[in-house]
Amino acid sequence: MSEKPLTSDSQRGPLFADPRFWKRALSMLRPFLALAAVVLLFAVADQRFSEKPAFFTADNFTNVVSQTAIVAVAALGMTVIIIAGGIDLSAGTAIALAATVLAWCLKEDVATKLVAGDSVASATARLKSANDELGRVNKELKALGEKSPGNSVIAEKLLDLGNATHEVERREQRLASVKMVSQSWSKWTPTLAVLAALGCGCLCGFVNGALISVLRVVPFIVTLGTMQLFLGLAKQIASNSTVRPDRASQVPDWFSSLLSIRPETLWLKLPAGVWLTLLLAGLLAAGLHWTVFSRYVFALGSNEATARLCGINVRWNKIAVYTLSGLFVGIAGLYQFSRLTVGNPTSGTGLELKVISAVVIGGASLSGGRGSVLGTLLGALIMSVIGNGCTMLGLENPVQDMILGVIIVAAVTLDQFRQKAVGGRQ
Amino acid sequence: MTARFWTACLLLLAPLGCGDSQPPSLPGYVERPSGRVPMGMEVGGEAATPVDTIKFTFAVIPKGTTHEFWKSVHAGAENAAKELGDVKILWKGPLLENDRDGQISVVQDFVTKKVDGIILAPLDKQALVDAVKDAQAANIPVLIFDSALQDESLIVSYVATDNFKGGQLAAKRLSESLDGKGNVIVLRYNAGSESTEQREEGFLDELKARHPQIKVISSNEYAGTTPESSLDKATQVLTKHKDEVTGIFAVCEPNAAGVLKALEETGLVGKVKFVAFDPNKELIQGMADRNVNGIVLQDPVTMGYESVKRMAAHLRGEKVEKRIGTGEYVATPDNMTTPEMDKLLKPQQFE
Amino acid sequence: MSSPVLTMSGISKSFGATQALRDVSLDVPVGRVLALIGENGAGKSTLMKVLSGAHVPDAGTMTLNERPFTPSGPHDARLAGVGMIYQELNLAPDLSVEDNIMLGQEHSRFGMLNRRAQQAKVREVLELLGHPDLPPSTPVRELPIAQQQLVEIARALASDCKVIVFDEPTSSLTRSDVEHLFAVIRRLKSAGLGIVYISHFLEEIRQVSDCYAVLRDGQSVGSGELSDTTDTDIVSLMVGRDVSELFPSVPHTPGEVMLQVRCLSGESSPVDVSFELRRGEILGIAGLIGAGRTELLRCLFGLDEVASGDAIRSPDAYVRTLGRRRPSYGCSPRRRIAEGFGLVSEDRKTEGLAQSRSIADNMTYSRLKPYSRFGWLNLNRRRTAVADWMRRLHVKAASPEQSVGELSGGNQQKVAIARVLHQEADILLLDEPTRGIDVGTKAEIYRLMGEQAAAGKAIIFVSSYLTELLAVCDRVAVMSRGRMKEVRAAKDWTEEAVMAVAVSV
Repeated sequence: MSEKPLTSDSQRGPLFADPRFWKRALSMLRPFLALAAVVLLFAVADQRFSEKPAFFTADNFTNVVSQTAIVAVAALGMTVIIIAGGIDLSAGTAIALAATVLAWCLKEDVATKLVAGDSVASATARLKSANDELGRVNKELKALGEKSPGNSVIAEKLLDLGNATHEVERREQRLASVKMVSQSWSKWTPTLAVLAALGCGCLCGFVNGALISVLRVVPFIVTLGTMQLFLGLAKQIASNSTVRPDRASQVPDWFSSLLSIRPETLWLKLPAGVWLTLLLAGLLAAGLHWTVFSRYVFALGSNEATARLCGINVRWNKIAVYTLSGLFVGIAGLYQFSRLTVGNPTSGTGLELKVISAVVIGGASLSGGRGSVLGTLLGALIMSVIGNGCTMLGLENPVQDMILGVIIVAAVTLDQFRQKAVGGRQ
Repeated sequence: MTARFWTACLLLLAPLGCGDSQPPSLPGYVERPSGRVPMGMEVGGEAATPVDTIKFTFAVIPKGTTHEFWKSVHAGAENAAKELGDVKILWKGPLLENDRDGQISVVQDFVTKKVDGIILAPLDKQALVDAVKDAQAANIPVLIFDSALQDESLIVSYVATDNFKGGQLAAKRLSESLDGKGNVIVLRYNAGSESTEQREEGFLDELKARHPQIKVISSNEYAGTTPESSLDKATQVLTKHKDEVTGIFAVCEPNAAGVLKALEETGLVGKVKFVAFDPNKELIQGMADRNVNGIVLQDPVTMGYESVKRMAAHLRGEKVEKRIGTGEYVATPDNMTTPEMDKLLKPQQFE
Repeated sequence: MSSPVLTMSGISKSFGATQALRDVSLDVPVGRVLALIGENGAGKSTLMKVLSGAHVPDAGTMTLNERPFTPSGPHDARLAGVGMIYQELNLAPDLSVEDNIMLGQEHSRFGMLNRRAQQAKVREVLELLGHPDLPPSTPVRELPIAQQQLVEIARALASDCKVIVFDEPTSSLTRSDVEHLFAVIRRLKSAGLGIVYISHFLEEIRQVSDCYAVLRDGQSVGSGELSDTTDTDIVSLMVGRDVSELFPSVPHTPGEVMLQVRCLSGESSPVDVSFELRRGEILGIAGLIGAGRTELLRCLFGLDEVASGDAIRSPDAYVRTLGRRRPSYGCSPRRRIAEGFGLVSEDRKTEGLAQSRSIADNMTYSRLKPYSRFGWLNLNRRRTAVADWMRRLHVKAASPEQSVGELSGGNQQKVAIARVLHQEADILLLDEPTRGIDVGTKAEIYRLMGEQAAAGKAIIFVSSYLTELLAVCDRVAVMSRGRMKEVRAAKDWTEEAVMAVAVSV
């Protein structure tokens, strides 16, 4: 035994012998264990009590993962905010706003509108109204002809007829030119719509960040206000209804297949939107570890006074944090639209609490300075696994609500115990 | 760490554990009793159907689970299942009312679970299309009830009230109580809700077409989804038009509940004629007191019953009509005590 | 000498692998003040936590009034007769004086407060304290700190305690308040209570205590009558080594002017302060709490608003003024750091350090540039650099990734100072850098200051501990009521002279 060179062992030995290695490994695995526990329980219950167990199948895995994407991607942004010691209650309605903006852009064919100042649909509608007017004048003229009134009246009517005909011609030309523009430009509409949704998300975040750092009002209050503001804006854009772009002609297929679980839309076994979420999560995790900005984010959340003392620009970094989170909100809006294919202003109400819950279950501290991307993803997953498992088992809504509630409180409580255990020795 | 794990276990086991000792009180467990009774308990205490006779499992997905209307649909669905004998109902709605994304997830979950049929009241005519397509791709037939789906080619049948006609009936009844002239308010429900939009359109259309002396003074206010929000909105609108208003139409039950309270608050009760859509206890009492002049009624029990029956028929290879109306009726202070109306005013509910 | 009111014998306590207390014994005599002395981390706090029931000892026994004493928790200990007065006050700020005194021991019957009995009790207790003038119905928030402390003491008295422990009670008091407190302690002593007094200041201990016990590394290393002992003896008991190393001197000579402050005024203080600071100089600033010393540093560093006046910073040909109305970008800490200023805050916990972040983070927050490229950090390079700083400053920690909150006070302070050195500041503003840390670490910090001055940096050193100011600084300025009263070379001052100027109007 002793003949073998011990170099590799002696290098590795201390690592495994080091209790801190195990502690760290354990704390990284912890969220996985919670998820595994939930999954295991539902799987066992499903095997035991359902005549057709379907919970622990690959199909259902794809299903759950795609259902998690909206909350997960928004929760990634929220993680950054919460680490920086903030909170964003407006995330839910901002997601709906982004989705509504996206739907509106598609519906109004925004590329054509930008270039030609008009869309085919509205030009057509206006042509139609001009035609109606022409028809009405014609009818009146005919009616007059039967009564044979004075020349002046007829002349006036003829003038009207001329005007109306001219108007129809003008609008026909207009429609033709709009159509031409649309032929070459409307292919850009989806791209523009996506950019608009992302931009809208960032703008929402920027507004939050700017209000918080300029007015120096606590984030809870500011975002409580902007939550309502964004809801109102979305309703305004949707004219107090739902924006429904035409599925066949206005919504490109890749939109609706982004999170679809139909086998032909899957890409490497998972919907493209899920891969995108994972990619973003990877980037964010790397960013939170290796960037200067991330150090500032953690400093802000851990102790704002220290951050100021160290010359960190508190104001701009806060704005940057909220704007970054806004980008994720915009992506969540894109996802929501891809699931619903309509823009509904109210469809984000209550979503912010799911998002915050995911972050909190993932081990972040609402007092700031602590949180992880991996934890957040798993937190989001735990929530949708519970929802899915309850449906699979036939457990009804009240039970599902209660389980979710208990899980949230338990996760946070246990995390506090852990914090005390780790940080208690001073 | 293990602490979290074990607590999670306990959490999940806790409701199940309770169920063992107190059979009838397991909350929300609504599967039909069968030989293989879940968690070792029986639901409802009725005679259990042996497991081998269950041929079909249907998922019934309402828009929400807390309104009385859905409880009646649930009762009707269970009646049909009992009558058929070989059908089991899984009843599950989205956690939040009005949560489209949540409803899509529920449909997807049932598709993955491979139920034999899905009976769905879509929260949005367009948003649920993809989910229904998923079901179709998995060879699971979908029947739509209560509210329409945009793409009718995907579905077995559409079982619903004719909401447009219901709106027309409401207009007729309101006009009747106003002797053909007056100023009325329509309090809308929520942006983008198909069935109530139909009612609103039907109401406005009927007034425009056949009751020219009745003027609509407000038709662009949305009351929101709860009685509380409706109360607030109705109070504002009524106060604003206090001097001219003579009639008001509330397009659904939570809405009407709020309006009735608002009428009481503003002292207009009895003076302003009031027609509601869908009944509840207060509205029925209000009608007995002649403060509510009419309630347009649907037949949710029949809706649930017919939906399950048609789905079963479809699976047995029978032909099913694409569109099935479940009827719409008007209850007035004068006819409310007749047995037919009484049955519709107090429909059976799932316990 | 009568029998002790409280006896702790053979107390041992360990947390995991660390043995915090090893076989410690302590007698608290009746009607006397026992000073408990020791460096930070010597086990004083742990011992007092055992006494107050917050920790259960692994071994050992306690007797209170000749009866076995095994408190199950702080409340239990208080009811049994052990009162604790901590450095940080433990009051409900919105409740009245009376409610605070009676908190947790309300006189009640069937859940209803018996106000009259309570008022009588409060009067009696305040009488005993010699402060019958404290208004019982005033919310505690509205009282000055010194009076709030009296409320705490009154609370302990109201539960008929036999022993009162004062844990660093003077750290937030002014000189005259300290005198008042000592008067109160003497009163309590003559009322027959046993008193334990914990402090870092030997001067204070001499003023108020009768006997002493010294702890080092969790063990009792000596005890006796104060009158029989010299300060040097006590200090060498505390540190376990020679005291001559207490104020190590590093030769340094002041050079050209680096910072010239002219008529600088803040919102309320400082008022019209002018001075100049030279390269390689340590300028001490003495004064009472609230004399405007901290505010002066904060104004210079851009943390507080400057109302008028300016300061000229001249390393080479490079001149900038500080005088701006608001702490906008123009005079933010960010700008000051860029100009070579560095501030060590007086408050490590709430301002100086992000407690939950790692040593590496805290040390490099103010200067991440050397490790970053396009906004991305090279963590390995940073780790090496931080480890190097930790070695240079003898920071005792497991690794650069350990969070600062887990370190002892002295090591935390070293991290805060390391940050300023790491950011390559050449004007160091040190606000009470030695507060609450042990003697050994203090000596290290003095040496470090000397070395930095010798390396050509300028240091402003604010401290309330006159002995260290006079020993370490080249010049000492005294502030009072926001104004800078007098600046002299350190050797021209005595402690009495400094105090005389500090208390002058």
